[in-house]
Amino acid sequence: MARFTLRLNGTTRSVDVDGDTPLLWVLRDDLGLTGTKFGCGAALCGACTVFLGDVATRSCSLPVTAVGNSEITTIEGVTGPEAAAVQHAWIARDVPQCGYCQSGQIISAIALLKTIRKPSDRDIDLAMSGNLCRCATYVRIRAAIHDAARALGG
Amino acid sequence: MLVPLAIAPLRSQTAEAGADHEITDWILISASGDVTLGLSQPEVGQGSYTVLPQILADELDADWQRVKVRFVTGREAYKIAFKNEPPVQKEGASMSTTVLYSRLRTAGAAARGVLVRAAADHWKVTANQCRAEKGFVIGPNGQRRSYGALAADAAKLPLDPAPHLKDRTQFTLVGKPLPRLDSKAKSTGTAIFGIDVVVPNMLHAAICSAPAFTGSLTAIRNEAEILGMAGVRAVVRLPAVHVANEEPGSQHPGLAQEARHNAVCVVADRFWQAKCAADALDLAFDPGAGGNLSTAGIDGLLHQALDAEKAVTAVETGRPREILEERAQAVIERRFVLPHIAHAPLEPVNATASYKDGAVEVWGPIQAVAACQDAIAASVGVKAEAIKINVTFLGGSFGRKIVPDYVVQAVHASKAVGRPVKLLRTREQDLRHGIFRVNAGGRFRAVLDGKGYPLAVQARVVGQSLFGATRKSWLDQTPEGAWDESMVDGIYNQDYRLPNFLVETIDTPLPVPVYFMRSVGSTAAVFFWESFISELAHRAGIDQYAYRRTLLADKPLALRVLDAVAEAARWSAPPLPGTVRGIAYNCYVGRGGRFKTYVAQVVELVPAGDRLALKRVFCAVDPGLVVNPNTLAAQIEGGIGFALTTALHSRITFADGGAEQTNFLDYPLLSIDEMPEIVPIILPSDRPPQGFGEVVLAPVAPAIAQALLQASGRRIDTMPLPAEAFRR
Repeated sequence: MARFTLRLNGTTRSVDVDGDTPLLWVLRDDLGLTGTKFGCGAALCGACTVFLGDVATRSCSLPVTAVGNSEITTIEGVTGPEAAAVQHAWIARDVPQCGYCQSGQIISAIALLKTIRKPSDRDIDLAMSGNLCRCATYVRIRAAIHDAARALGG
Repeated sequence: MLVPLAIAPLRSQTAEAGADHEITDWILISASGDVTLGLSQPEVGQGSYTVLPQILADELDADWQRVKVRFVTGREAYKIAFKNEPPVQKEGASMSTTVLYSRLRTAGAAARGVLVRAAADHWKVTANQCRAEKGFVIGPNGQRRSYGALAADAAKLPLDPAPHLKDRTQFTLVGKPLPRLDSKAKSTGTAIFGIDVVVPNMLHAAICSAPAFTGSLTAIRNEAEILGMAGVRAVVRLPAVHVANEEPGSQHPGLAQEARHNAVCVVADRFWQAKCAADALDLAFDPGAGGNLSTAGIDGLLHQALDAEKAVTAVETGRPREILEERAQAVIERRFVLPHIAHAPLEPVNATASYKDGAVEVWGPIQAVAACQDAIAASVGVKAEAIKINVTFLGGSFGRKIVPDYVVQAVHASKAVGRPVKLLRTREQDLRHGIFRVNAGGRFRAVLDGKGYPLAVQARVVGQSLFGATRKSWLDQTPEGAWDESMVDGIYNQDYRLPNFLVETIDTPLPVPVYFMRSVGSTAAVFFWESFISELAHRAGIDQYAYRRTLLADKPLALRVLDAVAEAARWSAPPLPGTVRGIAYNCYVGRGGRFKTYVAQVVELVPAGDRLALKRVFCAVDPGLVVNPNTLAAQIEGGIGFALTTALHSRITFADGGAEQTNFLDYPLLSIDEMPEIVPIILPSDRPPQGFGEVVLAPVAPAIAQALLQASGRRIDTMPLPAEAFRR
């Protein structure tokens, strides 16, 4: 066990955990932030995606020791124009079905719009193909990202 | 056809605690006017959380903006009957909306009735001088009284068992594309799934199961070492439970407990600690009687059955055997083989359980409340009444979370450590120890008449029988033996005009744990059937749409969806150069004949480099009355995507008695770059709501296979569709 101090969602939180614990489980079991989901444990499905700085990162495969001083932002803490546009579009389009993958989808979509203001379908495929949705809500994910881009003036 | 149980609106004798007044089993209204509607069907993504309250609220004339939804259990009103079974509370078989539609309307209308009477009594006028609108009753002089102000009095008035229902033109909510009530929670990370449950004093458990389905634990070689690992509280041996045939009169699924142990779970302070310790377990297993189970062996059984002389006759009309024998030289034959597949919901199976002083409480993603209660009661020896089930949002299920093996395991873990335990399977444990969809093989033979249409057809489907393994009372008995309608869903009850028709099945029993999966047998059977019809049209040199149209000439509802999809896809116009198309049809018949939903699809494949890529799917449906076109369209989009995972990717293989796939690397799911554009065509209908959650899946794969046949002449005889079949 060791003490780690994390910059998380605009605050600072300290936890005592084993250093090899993936960030996902620190968020969920130690910090009570359950919006980030466990799907595969191997960075294959994207359900656990969070921001590490500006980079969408698979928290299931990132040991807490590797976080360092980077700012972590989870679905509970996303802010800013891209986040607002994406979440608004997600709700307006009724993207979720079961909803389990959607926290990860939304983080990846925000990351995409932060780098490409007006993504093409191909850009969306490239940015989002690591986020699996078993309900296959992909038609509405694509539409919602285009909606959000328009709302951002892209 | 079963007649739905007539359940009169009721309310419990004892009022619920708190400020809410119970108007019926389904409706609570607070003094401030907030309306809480009961939801009996778990929300697995299908939209029940919005659609079923929408039906209630319409007849109630509630203000939709003031409606809240809560999951409810424990009353007769929440139970529905599946086929020949006693009623239970369960979501499945695309039944929820079609079965509950009239019951919820009746409950809503009866509640509106007592609210109106309470207002009329208050104003000392007659009830028929008053009307209800958006949470208010309006009197003869325009006076208004809110449902909140009326709730206490209304709760004391007797409910009319047969209240006057609205006609369709009076609906204010039903038929409207209302937004989902759960989208905000699911877009902000606040929706609570089973995996998110936290109860005080809770520990976490990870599990390691016998690799072979029939395996038994013989030793834990390093128990002391495991107990010494960080955070570890206990190592618990878990009794084997397996999906079994039901006892007469019980709720399904049967979940038999055996004397053997087949899994060990490690209980720890944190999940990661439990998982690391479970990974470090050094376990010894005896593989048991099924230890030599392998894919080669399973496929061998399929081929034997396809070639077997005798099968069980399910349907025989005309003289199919004689004609096929007389014209043996003209017989057209196709064979197919499909693997077992896994549900793979993105939320791995998990449950939180608290066993204390002979009482059990569980929280989790649970699709069938009654089955869960019965399984726990049988496994840990407590009375079903002493088991409280709390149903969360389900992170996908597709039938998997009807089988409560994972809940029973969590209860055993809690009982062993005397504290609440959340047991979560890793993806590897979820997938390798899934409850799979059965495999299937098909052999189809036909001779054509002088015009190229089927004169005689023999359809044989073989494989592990789902009903044989889990629901023997659902089998159809004949002098030759029993047959399982789910093996030939969409074939034995197919719609094409066939003067001489033989349908037969052979069960090849296996020790593979199997259960229902979204669309049940139809994804296999309709793939075989529609692919064979495509073959016959191709041989006859007749357009695929025209061929089906001729064979459906006396089925107006079938023709309607087929024509609608052909028109939307501009089938009669030649496609763009390089584009190939396929068309398929299916009428999805609900279990026990409870509903009929008509579906027709056209797929378009376009050149993409050296491959053909699926560009667009047109899907026409006649689902009866559509309660919510928004959620129905989502089921069309998602159902087609779900079917594409099956068509393109899904295969479970077996070795040494167990499944081999472990994670999304060897069991991939469809990703966004593989998702086609979807064009839904929803036809208006005077029929009441029919089932929908499973109905659009089956035509997808045969339509693609037909397009590939068109493109290259290549015959597809398996799923997943071979990648090389898409090469240009």
